[in-house]
Amino acid sequence: MKDRLDFYNSYKDEHRIFNNRVQRFWAIFGVLFSIYTLIILNDVWLFLLTLAMMTTIGAWGLNIVSGFAGQISLAHGAFIGIGTYTAFVVGGNIGSSVLSYGLDMAIWLPLSGIVPMLFGILISPVTSKLKGLNLGLFSIGIVYFVLHIFQNFRTVTGGSGLGRKSPDFVLLGFNFENGITIGNLVLNESNLIALFTFLILILSGFGVKNIARTKTGRAFFSIRDRDIAAEALGVDLLRYKGTAYAISSFYAGICGALLFTFTGGVEPNQFNFVYSVTFIAIVIIGGAGTVLGPLFGSFFFILMPTVIQEIIHFFGLFEQSSFLNLAQIERLVFGIFIIVFLIFEPRGLWGIWFRLRNYFKAWPFSY
Amino acid sequence: MSFFIQVFIEGIALGAVYSLVALGFVIIFKATDVLSFAQPALAALGAGFICYFATEAGINFWLSLIIGIVLTGLTGLFIERTVLRQMVGEPVFSVAVITIGVDILIRTFLDDWIGDEPRFLGDSFTSYGNFGSFSIGDFNFKYLEMAGLFVAFVVILLLNLFFKKSRYGLAMLATSFDQETALAQGINVGRVFGLAWFIGGLLAAIAGFVFTGGFNTLTQLSFVLALRALPAVVIGGLDSIPGAIVGSLIIGVTQSLAGYYQYPIEDYFDINLGLGFSTVAPYIIMFFILLVKPEGLFGTKEVERV
Repeated sequence: MKDRLDFYNSYKDEHRIFNNRVQRFWAIFGVLFSIYTLIILNDVWLFLLTLAMMTTIGAWGLNIVSGFAGQISLAHGAFIGIGTYTAFVVGGNIGSSVLSYGLDMAIWLPLSGIVPMLFGILISPVTSKLKGLNLGLFSIGIVYFVLHIFQNFRTVTGGSGLGRKSPDFVLLGFNFENGITIGNLVLNESNLIALFTFLILILSGFGVKNIARTKTGRAFFSIRDRDIAAEALGVDLLRYKGTAYAISSFYAGICGALLFTFTGGVEPNQFNFVYSVTFIAIVIIGGAGTVLGPLFGSFFFILMPTVIQEIIHFFGLFEQSSFLNLAQIERLVFGIFIIVFLIFEPRGLWGIWFRLRNYFKAWPFSY
Repeated sequence: MSFFIQVFIEGIALGAVYSLVALGFVIIFKATDVLSFAQPALAALGAGFICYFATEAGINFWLSLIIGIVLTGLTGLFIERTVLRQMVGEPVFSVAVITIGVDILIRTFLDDWIGDEPRFLGDSFTSYGNFGSFSIGDFNFKYLEMAGLFVAFVVILLLNLFFKKSRYGLAMLATSFDQETALAQGINVGRVFGLAWFIGGLLAAIAGFVFTGGFNTLTQLSFVLALRALPAVVIGGLDSIPGAIVGSLIIGVTQSLAGYYQYPIEDYFDINLGLGFSTVAPYIIMFFILLVKPEGLFGTKEVERV
C-alpha cells in the first residue's frame, strides 16, 4: 500500500499539507535548494528573486479574496499602499521631514499587516453587500480615493512626485547592512534580506495552504461557487467575506512593507489603478484559486522582463530601437500574456504545471 | 448666483460628454454582458486617429473626424471578433480583465505614437472667438463644450431612434434581454455583439475628440478623462441607458461644482480636501449610491435563484 501515492486511509491523511512522500521530498529539496541559491547568488538575479518572493506574498493575498472567496478586488494596490505607509511611518528614520518613529522591524512588520487588515474589516460590511462587477467597480473607487489621500497627505507620504525614503532592515537591534560571517561564508545585506524574505514567504505559504484545506477555506470556496447556496447551507456570508478581506489585506500589507523597504522608497502614484491590475494579472497568469499559482505568476511576471531583455541583447535585436523601446515591449508582452492566458489557459501556469505533473505521474501510461 | 449657473452649465456640458463614454459602456454591457475597460483606450485611439489624419496625413479636418470615428468603431468590432468572441460564456470578471489587456495593448502603441509632446487635433475650435469661447450676457461658453453638448444630444436621440425603430436596435434589445431566447427567435446574436462594439467604438471616439479637441490636447494621459465616466455607469446602473445619461450628468455637475467650490468650502470649514479633489468627488457619490442601491439608480435588480 505504501507505493500507492494516491491511496489514503482517512480524510486527515488526504488533507495534510504534503500528502505523500514524493511531495515531502520535493518540498524539502526545494527549500534546501532555494536557501543554497539565495546564499551563493549575489547579483541582479538575487535582487529579482527577492522581489518575486515579496510580490508572491501580495499575490497570495489577492488570491485569497478573489481566487478563493470569489470577491473581485481591484483595490489590492490600495491595501498594499496602506501597509507600506504603516511600515514607513512606524519604522522610518527619525529626523526626516515626514512623520516617522524609527522603531524596530519586529514592530513595524506585523503592524504593516494589521493596519490594512483593520481597514479591510472596516469596509467589509459594504463590500459583502455588493457582488460581481459592482464590487469590482466599488473597489476601483477605493483605489482612486486612497490614491487621492496618499497624494495629499504630505506628512505621511511625502506628497505626489516626491515620495519618501524607506526604513532600514533592523530586526531586533541587528542591522542587515552589517552582514554575517560564518566561517568562510560571508552573507551580505542582500543575501540576508533574501533569506529573511524566504522565511516570511514559507510562513505565508503555509498560511495560504492551511486556509485552503480547513473550514475557512471550504467556506470561501462555497461562497465563490454560489454565495446564495452557501448562505442556505449555513455559511455566514458577512463573517467569511470579512475574513477573506482581512486576511487578504494582511498579506497585502506585509508585501508592501517588504517590497518598498527593499526598493528603498516609494512615491504615492505607485499605488495607482495599474498597480492593482498588475496583481490581478499575476494571479490570473499564475492560476487563480490555487496555492502555487500566484507563486508561479509572480516569478514569471518579475523575471520575464529581464529574461526578455537578455534575449534581446543576446540576439542583438532592437538595438537601434526604431519602433518600441524595452519598457514598451514589456508592457506589450504583459498585455498579450493577460489575453492569451485568459483565452487559452484559464487555469494559468498552474494549469500547465498540473498537466505536466499528471503526465509524468502516470508515465509511461500517459495519454 | 450667476457664477453658480455658469458652473452648473459647464458641469452639464461635461456630463453630456461623459454620457457618450458611459453609453458605450452600457450598450456593450447590455448586449454582450462584457464590462469593457478598453473604452478609455478606444476614446484616446479615436482622438489619435483624428489627429493623425488631420495633422500628419493632411486631410481636411471634418473628413478626418469622420474617418477617425469610423475607424475606431471598426477597431471595436475587430476587438470583439478576435478577442472577446473566444470568451463567450466565461465568467464576467475574466472577460473584464481581458479588456484591460486589450486596453494595455492599444495604449502601448498609441503612447509610442503620441510621444512626450501634447498634440493638437488640428480642429479650428481654438481660433473661434475669445480663446475658443463666447459670451452671452454674464455667461461664458466654450465652443467645444457646446459642440459636445449638442453632439451628445443628437447621438442620444439617434440611439433612441435606433432602439425604437430599426430591426437591429430591436434585435439588440432582445439580445440584452435573453441571449439564448434571442438566438432561438432567429436573431444573429454574433452580429449584435459586433454591432454593440462598433457603436461603443463610435461613441468612444466622439467623446475622445471632445475631450482632446480645442485647447485640450491629446497626451499620453488623455485616456484618464474617459475613465472618469466609470462612476457614472455605476451610479446609473450598468444595464440602463437612461441611467448612463443621468449618472453622467450627476458626475459632470459634481466634478465641476467640486472644482469651483473646493476653495470656498476649505476656507469655510478650515479643512484640506487636497489637490484634484474634483476628480475623486464622483467616486464618493458612487460609494453612497452603491450603499443605498447596489444595482444603481436605474439598474434592474438581479433576481437570483439558488
